[in-house]
Amino acid sequence: MRISGMIASALLAAAVAAQPLAAAEVRVLNWQGYGTDEAWGVEAFEAATGHTVVHDYFNSEQEMLTKLRTSPGAYDVVLINSAFTIQAAEEGLIQPIDSAAISNFGDLSPGLRDAAEFRLDGDLYGVAWTWGLTSIAYDTEEVDPGNSIEILWDPAHAGNVAVRDDSVENVYLAALATGQNMNAPEDLDAIRQKLRDLKPQIRTFWSSEDEWNKEFAADAFDVAVYWSGSASRSAKAFGLPVGYLIPKEGAIAWLDGLSLAAGSANPAGALQFIDYMVSPDHFVRWDTEVGAPASANGVAMNQLPEDAFNRQVLGDPAATANLQFMAPLSDETRETFLEIWEETKAWYAE
Amino acid sequence: MRIETRRRWAIAWLTGPAYLWLAVTIFLPLSAMLYFSFQKKGPFGKHASEFSLKHYEAFFTKGYLQDLMWRSLEMGFHVTGLCILIGFPAAYWLARRIRGRWREALFLLIVLPFWSNALVRVFSWTIVLRPDGVLDRAVQSVIPGLPAIDLTDSYPAIIIGLVHSYLPYMILTCFLSLQAIDESLLEAARSLGARSWTILVRIILPLAVPGLAAGSILIFVPVIGSFFEPRLLGGPKGTVIGTVIEEQFTVVSNWPLGGALSFILLAIVLLILAVAAPVLKNHMRTT
Amino acid sequence: MNQARLTVLVSEGAGRLWLFLVLVFLYLPILVLAVMGLNDSVHYTLPFTFTTRWYEDLASNERLLQASFNSVAVALANTVIATILGTMAALAFARYRFRGRTVLQLLLFPPITIPWLIIGTSMLVLFFWTGIGRGLHAMLLGHVALSLPYVIIVVGARLASIGPDLEEAAASLGATPFQSLVRVQIPVMAPGIVAAALFAFAVSFDQFVISYFLAPPGVSVLPVEIFSAIRKGFTPEVNAISTIMIVISMTALLLFARLSKFGGER
Repeated sequence: MRISGMIASALLAAAVAAQPLAAAEVRVLNWQGYGTDEAWGVEAFEAATGHTVVHDYFNSEQEMLTKLRTSPGAYDVVLINSAFTIQAAEEGLIQPIDSAAISNFGDLSPGLRDAAEFRLDGDLYGVAWTWGLTSIAYDTEEVDPGNSIEILWDPAHAGNVAVRDDSVENVYLAALATGQNMNAPEDLDAIRQKLRDLKPQIRTFWSSEDEWNKEFAADAFDVAVYWSGSASRSAKAFGLPVGYLIPKEGAIAWLDGLSLAAGSANPAGALQFIDYMVSPDHFVRWDTEVGAPASANGVAMNQLPEDAFNRQVLGDPAATANLQFMAPLSDETRETFLEIWEETKAWYAE
Repeated sequence: MRIETRRRWAIAWLTGPAYLWLAVTIFLPLSAMLYFSFQKKGPFGKHASEFSLKHYEAFFTKGYLQDLMWRSLEMGFHVTGLCILIGFPAAYWLARRIRGRWREALFLLIVLPFWSNALVRVFSWTIVLRPDGVLDRAVQSVIPGLPAIDLTDSYPAIIIGLVHSYLPYMILTCFLSLQAIDESLLEAARSLGARSWTILVRIILPLAVPGLAAGSILIFVPVIGSFFEPRLLGGPKGTVIGTVIEEQFTVVSNWPLGGALSFILLAIVLLILAVAAPVLKNHMRTT
Repeated sequence: MNQARLTVLVSEGAGRLWLFLVLVFLYLPILVLAVMGLNDSVHYTLPFTFTTRWYEDLASNERLLQASFNSVAVALANTVIATILGTMAALAFARYRFRGRTVLQLLLFPPITIPWLIIGTSMLVLFFWTGIGRGLHAMLLGHVALSLPYVIIVVGARLASIGPDLEEAAASLGATPFQSLVRVQIPVMAPGIVAAALFAFAVSFDQFVISYFLAPPGVSVLPVEIFSAIRKGFTPEVNAISTIMIVISMTALLLFARLSKFGGER
């Protein structure tokens, strides 16, 4: 009796101990250095909720989708560019979110929060988090930026340009440079040629923010495609002489949302994490101390100081007049873009 | 008869486990990949399996894929050739001219880097080769005023990294076959008045061919399938067939295309092995 | 000094210089790696400022420590399994002539000669598809497959150099096959087995490609962790852990060399 009682209570204790342990983890899939993994933020969240936060990273939206596909159940929260949210939902990689669980949901700017890109069959699949630009960053000590996207093709910067190894992004840039609607380009041959013309310019492909900063610090390139939030981080947190150009031809704008992975072992913790991420608490500290893209939370944006990069650059109506937001792509278009880029890369390597 | 049965059981028990393991981890996966390379799409999402030749066709209709395959082969030739040029003389000196403890010590020194992580060594080359890096600084301190040396993100950087990774193989295999050459054979040649150049070309080189061939294969095959060295060292020059295959699995989830390209690469490897087989057979006999 | 003597001296000097240069080439990046692990700049820029902070940070970097532990665990398990299975097969090849022997021996070449990229991706395909899944178990499956041919060849070479004479002698002195195996063959084979085990350890420990495709999120071995660090963000801690691993594995090999006269006269 005593022995069996001991065994039973030991088993029970083990079961109880195992249960919250397994559930107390929030596993996040995101770009490295993109807000969710700031040490102070993780600590604050862990202290407030008792969950531990674990990160895994991707270098492209495609890689993110592949990770979700090949590792079902391995993640709780995943950052998805709104142009890819519906695709992920259709493939069953993410699950619907009950907006009532997100206490900050009401503070999100309606235009971003209710974007059609986050919804499939009326269900909410992504919580609008941040938005920003993919445009051109330059070395303020060596480059006079001008106001055109043609700076990437300027022979003065031959061998000093870096782009990201990403098919969609580069096709979009070439579309902007050739005066096309990037979401529905008609003259693909012009895009092909424009990308090929980049060959003498390109110094390297960068694959992560960390790599961008390291190579920039080592003076490997002077002009490079970069994200607006990352550029402000490079200048603020790393003290690099980085300036940011929004060309007259326009820039790629994106809206990032946080989604709940299908098969999440800890959906409640995941939603708590998303809620914390979209809160003004997190965003204001992120932007003032580290550097961030613009928040989808209007309340959070209003708490930023007047001279904040986000207010200065993204707040300028003239500069942002020509933004084109990334729209979802069909499978066929994606494959076409991928083929254009792969062919171009093969041409660069020759 | 009973002895024969026992013999058979012994053979089965001794070889069975190893070959069962190889079957599950090498041959079965290759079969699965072969199957998928003939599928229209990978095992994701909701769609029925559908036979398709389009991924093999892609290789033959898309010129850039052929270019990249050729580029990988070219890279294999360059790396193997350089390994022979650098490794053979070193192996020769080590095997024939240095004796005793020194030889033991030097041999170990050459093998040791093999025991360190290949990836990290490639990574450290990026620090050596970058502008204002170690090589640049060293050269500048010897000859000031020279234009900055900057080899990162270039084809030579890939070659340097790969040669560094695979050179020990060549030295090892050449060392083994050179060491096995009977000294009395060379003495006989010398006593007949043969010059050292003649001895090298007519006796030593032919006897070292198995070692050269084994080393070349051990280098050529992994090099044409390499992907992380070109990626980390080559920058925009780092696109090869290996990186394209890798991307099909880790980035764009197009398993069928990745599989088809893999099997085309494999066919080329087999072709090369078939050509080299007679030489290797001799090598098997001598060791 | 006569002409011939001079030629010998010159070629002697050239040969040694060549060997020296080869060694410089082989060790230069390793030295740089170690030195940069002691440099203060997080961007790996010069000039050099000495610090041990990366080593201190390492003590609290659970990701890298866990990956190192996994690497050692998989390599050890791989060594035991591959050495036992490989030695058994090598014994069969050395002792018996049988139908299919050549075919079996030829089958050892695919794991060596097929590029790891292809082996790794096809394992990913099969393991994902069948539900075996990815993880340390999958890596172990793969590493053993890669190590087996090397073990069989290395042990087989040792057996071939012994030849059947010893076994026949043992038999003629009345030893049973089992006695002959335990008392005669295994002791004679021992150097070959140890060398093979060492090789198997290295194959697994240094293996990146297979592990890369078989590592699920959150489970990692050192090379995979280092690769994702290189691609996605790292500090010289990576240099520190690499230096430690290199020192450990090189010390092990040096000890082994002292014990077995590896690479010396045969």
